[in-house]
Amino acid sequence: MGKKKSAALIALITIVLVGLLFICITPTFPVKSPNSFRSLLSIVDLGRDLDGGYYTVYYPEGVISKSEYETLKADYDYVAENTSEGETPSVEDPAENYVAYKSIYLSEEIAAESGGVTEEFAQSFARALRGVQLRFEQRGLSDYSLRVQDDYTIRVEIPKLDHDDADAEALAQNMFELFSYSGELRFTDAHAANEAGTAEMDGSDGNIRSATTEDAGDQGYAVVINFTSAGRAAFRDLTSALTSSDSATSATVYLYAGDNQLLGATVTGTLDQSSVYLTGGYTQAAAETMATLINSCASADDVFELSFEEPEYYSMDALMGNSAALVAAAAIGVLVVAMIVFSLVKFKGFGLAHAYGFVTYAIAVIACISLIPAVQVTMGGIVAILVASAIMVSCNYYAFNNIKKEFASGKTLTASVKAGYKKSLGFTIDVHAILVLASLALWLIVTGPAKFASLVFLLCIAASAVCTLLVTRFYFYMFSAQPKNKIAFAGFKREETEDE
Amino acid sequence: MNKLSAKRTFLLCLVIGLILIVAGGLLFGLAGFNPDSSARDYTSIEVADNGYMENDPNFRDALETVCTEEIEGQGYDIGDVLYAAEASGGAGRLEFVLTGEMSEEDAASLAEALDTALASGNYAQAGSSYKDVGDISVAWHDAVYEPHTEYIWRTSVGIAVALVLLFAYVAIRFKVGMGVAALVAAAHDVLLTLALIALLRIPAGPTVICIAVLALLLSVFFECKLYGKVRQDLAMEERKGMPAEEAVMLSARESRKGIFIGAVLAAAALVVIAVAGLIVGFDLFSFMLGSLLAVIVCTYSSLVLSPALYALIKTRSDARRAERSKYNYASEKAKKNVNQEG
Repeated sequence: MGKKKSAALIALITIVLVGLLFICITPTFPVKSPNSFRSLLSIVDLGRDLDGGYYTVYYPEGVISKSEYETLKADYDYVAENTSEGETPSVEDPAENYVAYKSIYLSEEIAAESGGVTEEFAQSFARALRGVQLRFEQRGLSDYSLRVQDDYTIRVEIPKLDHDDADAEALAQNMFELFSYSGELRFTDAHAANEAGTAEMDGSDGNIRSATTEDAGDQGYAVVINFTSAGRAAFRDLTSALTSSDSATSATVYLYAGDNQLLGATVTGTLDQSSVYLTGGYTQAAAETMATLINSCASADDVFELSFEEPEYYSMDALMGNSAALVAAAAIGVLVVAMIVFSLVKFKGFGLAHAYGFVTYAIAVIACISLIPAVQVTMGGIVAILVASAIMVSCNYYAFNNIKKEFASGKTLTASVKAGYKKSLGFTIDVHAILVLASLALWLIVTGPAKFASLVFLLCIAASAVCTLLVTRFYFYMFSAQPKNKIAFAGFKREETEDE
Repeated sequence: MNKLSAKRTFLLCLVIGLILIVAGGLLFGLAGFNPDSSARDYTSIEVADNGYMENDPNFRDALETVCTEEIEGQGYDIGDVLYAAEASGGAGRLEFVLTGEMSEEDAASLAEALDTALASGNYAQAGSSYKDVGDISVAWHDAVYEPHTEYIWRTSVGIAVALVLLFAYVAIRFKVGMGVAALVAAAHDVLLTLALIALLRIPAGPTVICIAVLALLLSVFFECKLYGKVRQDLAMEERKGMPAEEAVMLSARESRKGIFIGAVLAAAALVVIAVAGLIVGFDLFSFMLGSLLAVIVCTYSSLVLSPALYALIKTRSDARRAERSKYNYASEKAKKNVNQEG
């Protein structure tokens, strides 16, 4: 490469890298009110441990909180005060209907005389607890926690599902509400749960094989219900019955979970197909939540009958401290600077190429974790980034040491670079190939925080492979065209031997 | 290193590893991991209002101070104070997570005492009590953590599949013996890391699964580094004449630098964040401590256990190969006898 070409490339690549780095890591600042510039790093979806999330407490029907009891009591006291003597207050006295238990109140119907709850309620609650937990586990969140609070309520904590607070709030509300639904699935044309429809089809696992999601283009995401052969026939009969009558050429088919209407779709003729696509402007997260609920309600083992009150939900702080993500980012920044300084001191020209290579790698990683919607970074993800970065640096150092050894054996710099990289190629490919395979397998199989950490690792190791095998070498090639003394630039010394 | 010392090294590593894994497994079976804040059962005092806390941060701070003083004045320790705001309404909740065992009666009387204190204490000398200003209710809760069963079994299956892939890759690209040693070392690393976290009672929540995955991936890297070097060296002419164990252990010694570089880089990053964790939150510190253990275990196994095991495997396989290729005089003699008799 000629000096001019090299200088132009260095200038161009430096400008591009600085620009990209600016887009990636600059703190948020206002640009034109009310807009503000947000870097890629600021839009990374973070897990519950780094960015907090939402929680709710599910109160089964017949169980109320202490504050709700106090409100009922205050209402009753007010009405009783204003009721003439001898007349019965229009509001029931909660003290007659509820029994205190820990910090909750149990209705007379479910409270046992010996204290606690009836055996029937305890069994229903245990089944509902298992059902609710399965829904949250199968939803594929980066993390969640479920606790039994005061023996008969369920406290669930979930991460934010979007970096935008308003969207995250809406998604959390939707999930908490849907996952509280009890009862079996059924398809019907009845507009309300208590009405009778003209035709009905049950949504058990005999009829529904699974529910999945699919990208529906402009219409957002679709919930796809896959029928078994029996389900396909039953759905054909249902749609046929609804659309073949003289009075109606189209009808709306609703899907209910117990008494709750999940969705409705218009049908204009007999549908004889193994899957139905239901669109309704769903986001991916909302469609996945709906699909999880349908799968849960379709499974006879997971369905439960206990109803829950409409849940209130609360935002909560990060589990590892509100500034954990910021501190981790700052610590990583300091480490990167220290590593670059060390590389420059130890490997001179190679260190410079490595620094540029690492910055390229860091930009690629930040772009991946911020722009790929499936990524959510938890503390496991941060460790995955650290380990993958250590592997990337280690592979580069290995190549540089090999080049040094080749040079020491008497080869020219160009031949040493070629031979050193050739010597390291097998190892670098092996390491990246096996790590890509292992992390891919883990991402496909595992669930929860390990799934998200595996995905982050997979992306990082793919970026590392490209940067180690191609980018760093290219940068060295580009830089080495500039200095007159290329050997000194590479930090090597040719030992001169005197002829005797 | 002679044959006996390689064997001894392997046996010693195996015994130590097995003892720690079994002890850790038993402790985990009996008491589980030492739970961090995300997996702990706890008793808490909840102070909820109708929205005043959310609108007036000064009121919230003052309320938190009064509650903290009252709870600590009653002789209880507060582990954590959490604030949550109702997303749809605006009501606020301060939750004081208490440490240590506590009976239901004690929790109820503490909540009652706090309720009384908030009903009598004046906010900002305004003549109104905290309870009147914020329409506050005080309740106590106990919360029992439900373990993530699906996370555990699916991660176990994922790790098993990754181990099989590791074995297959190393066996095909390197040698079957190296595949076996890498498989044993990786499984050892994952189990020993988890066992040590259980034994050392390092606080752990569901994210401990990430540490197991990290241990596996790091082990894969170190094993590749080790066997890449061993394979390269064994192909060298000057090493071909060496006894198998000596050649393997020499290559392992020479690969130390590369393994150390990887380990030091990973450990340095974890230590820095662990130190930061001491400032921002103990869970961050304990997670990094667990991850650091994974780095130490993986480094130890790739420097000591894995080469010792492969040295033994290679010695045996070389001996078997030599045995097979040895000229069999006895069978030649028998053949001759048969011919003569014929």
